[in-house]
Amino acid sequence: MADDALWYEAALLVGITNALNVVADSPLETLEPVRPDAPAQAVFAEIRAFYDCAEVPVAFRRVAADPGYLADLWGATRRVFSDNRLTRRHKEALAFAVSVTTRSPFGTTFHLGEMRRLGVGERGVVEVLGVTQMFSSYTKIADTLQLEPDMDGIAAEDRSPAPGGAPPPRTRSPEAP
Amino acid sequence: MPTVRLRDASEYPEPVQKLFEAAKAWFKYDFEQPPAMSRVMAWDPELGAFHGRAMKRAMGPGEWSRAEKEMVAAVVSGVNACAY
Repeated sequence: MADDALWYEAALLVGITNALNVVADSPLETLEPVRPDAPAQAVFAEIRAFYDCAEVPVAFRRVAADPGYLADLWGATRRVFSDNRLTRRHKEALAFAVSVTTRSPFGTTFHLGEMRRLGVGERGVVEVLGVTQMFSSYTKIADTLQLEPDMDGIAAEDRSPAPGGAPPPRTRSPEAP
Repeated sequence: MPTVRLRDASEYPEPVQKLFEAAKAWFKYDFEQPPAMSRVMAWDPELGAFHGRAMKRAMGPGEWSRAEKEMVAAVVSGVNACAY
């Protein structure tokens, strides 16, 4: 997990997970179109195929009145949850941890279901829950005492360029002429 | 700035020193001082022992690798807005 690419991917996933959860967990039932129009139905078909489910998750149904927005939201979601440097299975575990931590009923239920569908066993689920619980403890102890980060030296800095970009500028040491 | 004075490792009694050595081995990193969190948890060795064992069990490899679990820990810390 030394490459920054993995952490960028994880952070983008956290953002999208939270974006879906805030809409799904809010009292917005009345926004769901009774009969979504054809462009929205086309996106719904993609969503059903991706999740292998009969019902489109509520987070998407609630924005279906604007098919263009729905399509872009879905595109972003599909991108961050697809296999990439991180596996889809691991991404669902991260989303589950985020959802439990943010107390999202939708996210917790949905990503738990996805983890199981993708083959994570009960032990694997409890492992993720254990890490989530332990770090929900550590983080509050650290915050209460206002501890300052002191473990950033453990990992080496990743000096690789941005995707498709140029190498980073060379840094000159203070002693260099 | 911490709201308490973090004790130097040398201020802790001998049995706790062994816990600090175990932390060093766990992280595979030669800290100048044990991490602040290790020193905080060592304040109450009985609690620290339970908590530490639960943590070690949670973070050890199982269905997920330790690296995968470290990333779970990082996102939980992130959404908890914990800078530490």
